[in-house]
Amino acid sequence: MAAAVDHSSNYNDLSYLDVDRTAQRVMAPAGLKYWMWVGFCAFLVAVGGSFWTRQIYEGLGVTGYGQPTLWAVYITDFVFWVGIAHSGTLISAVLFLFRTRWRTAVYRCAETMTVFAVLTAGLFPIVHLGRPWFFYWLCPYPNERYLQPDFRSPLTWDFFAISTYLTTSTLFLSMGLIPDIANQRDISIGWRKKFYTALACGWQGTDRQWRNFSMAYLLLAGFATPLVLSVHSVVSWDFATMQTPGMHSTIFAPYFVAGAIFSGCAMVLTLIIPMRKMLHIEDLVTIWHLDSLGKVILFTSIVITYSYSTEAFLVYYAQDPIEMMTFHQRFFGHQGYLFGGMVLCNCLIPLLLFSPRIRTNTIWLFIISIFVNIGMWLERFVLIAGSLSVATIPSQWKFYVPKLTEVMLTIASFGWFLMNFSLFTKFLPIVSMTELKEGIGWLRKSGRNTYPYRKAS
Amino acid sequence: MSGDIELVGVFTTDGACANAIEKLHHASIKGFHTFSPFPSEKMAEAVDEVREWGKSSVRKFVLAGGITGAITALVMTVGTSWEWNLNTGGRPIASITPYIVIIFEMMILFGVLGAVTSFFVKSGLPSFEPSSGYRTRFGADRFGLVVITAESDSAKIEAMMRDAGAEEVVREAA
Repeated sequence: MAAAVDHSSNYNDLSYLDVDRTAQRVMAPAGLKYWMWVGFCAFLVAVGGSFWTRQIYEGLGVTGYGQPTLWAVYITDFVFWVGIAHSGTLISAVLFLFRTRWRTAVYRCAETMTVFAVLTAGLFPIVHLGRPWFFYWLCPYPNERYLQPDFRSPLTWDFFAISTYLTTSTLFLSMGLIPDIANQRDISIGWRKKFYTALACGWQGTDRQWRNFSMAYLLLAGFATPLVLSVHSVVSWDFATMQTPGMHSTIFAPYFVAGAIFSGCAMVLTLIIPMRKMLHIEDLVTIWHLDSLGKVILFTSIVITYSYSTEAFLVYYAQDPIEMMTFHQRFFGHQGYLFGGMVLCNCLIPLLLFSPRIRTNTIWLFIISIFVNIGMWLERFVLIAGSLSVATIPSQWKFYVPKLTEVMLTIASFGWFLMNFSLFTKFLPIVSMTELKEGIGWLRKSGRNTYPYRKAS
Repeated sequence: MSGDIELVGVFTTDGACANAIEKLHHASIKGFHTFSPFPSEKMAEAVDEVREWGKSSVRKFVLAGGITGAITALVMTVGTSWEWNLNTGGRPIASITPYIVIIFEMMILFGVLGAVTSFFVKSGLPSFEPSSGYRTRFGADRFGLVVITAESDSAKIEAMMRDAGAEEVVREAA
């Protein structure tokens, strides 16, 4: 049954100053609960740091790693966080090029998520190394032995792709922030005024500045769009170029990109639903925005389901006995329940989003987004650890079980990500005031007094 | 300039500000600058018509950056392969196909750096001296049009601004 459509959107009476006031309220000095939350996240990071220290001191033997599974939770975490990052670029760059109006209220949150997710992802290949202090060997730098990285290796491609992605997303986020920071500079006092004055770089919104800003922002969006497709394709080639059964597949690049958008949009919902409630920004991030994100998740879930089916179909159609055995193990083997959980979370539960009533109910959306996050983590785990466990002759099979070190470092990565994100919300504008104001202008220009808006649950 | 007057027109909508710019254009007045809290298409079109700016030259820097990045990556990958000239299984020393990934990524990286650098350079940033006529409300909810003119023309220009819908016109010594 379709939910009632309420046309009395809050945007109806929203003025430019209301947007500024709301942003300022969000960035007001934080209370005890906020600092307790940040402290809790920092505690998780400290616990993770201590486990990593022990791992560096004693070696990778403290983890569950061992022949034949030498890639497992750390690489799963890496792919998971890179995937989370992708929807931020999709919402901020791709939807910007398509002039999609609903992105305005949520894109800053998604972009911020992208930067911190890539930062988190970048830690895991280093954590995964036996000698992490030599991570810079991937960089092409002049050295006395004339040795250079192997540019044919997907791991070297990954280094270039991830570092380019981190730089581009950080610059894209920073550039978009400048006009909003200048606005904060003009209304702040004390140390905040000095802080925002330095960050705003003297922005005043003159015709010349806006002209160059608009062109540079458009071109950055134009660069970020193919970049977002290339980065997760490159990540997928880390696996697809291997001869390992269960990984050696040409479908991986589009399948990984769709999965990344799927998991990233779910993470945006996971972050933004509690955030809009706690920061009281329901006026700016309306149910309409969440509904639109729900539709993207539903669409990408269907693409993911199609990819899973195609991957399995290709294996059984080709009749390669080794591949068929790997897939049989994946579906019905020792860790088949993980595959079942992945299908449940990624293919079946998101189908609930066909119902407009569920898409406009924040509690349901939040629960579904959590399931999608779990499902996408499981997908990567099944693909990496699951395939490697049975990639050899059966006498050498060994099913990987993570130890406390991997579990704590995974939990710590969430603490690291949430701590950075929470700090950002208090010191920098988490909603783009500039684009929201532009959106109001668009409403007036187009003669529409309201966004389509479903009643909040 | 001594004896000149700075007129700061404050507008509540970008349409009214664009209207005032058009009036200035018809009166052949080009010495002005504007402020707005967001990039207004109406104002940009009106300003473009007066100044005949065309498209921003940021594009050229981005193109130059992209080409530089691609060439740098090509030289780096092929050059280092030739420098460590090791034949493995008869495969080519420099395999262009896998290098395309590196070339693509570096083209993007240098293009992005070109875009951001040219944005700062062409916009005169960083600059910690406020432009003449700037008001903090121009970053919040008002649109500004600043004209520096001779005392004798100021009354005519002020009338034009008010006629276009200015909420307020402030006169200051330039």
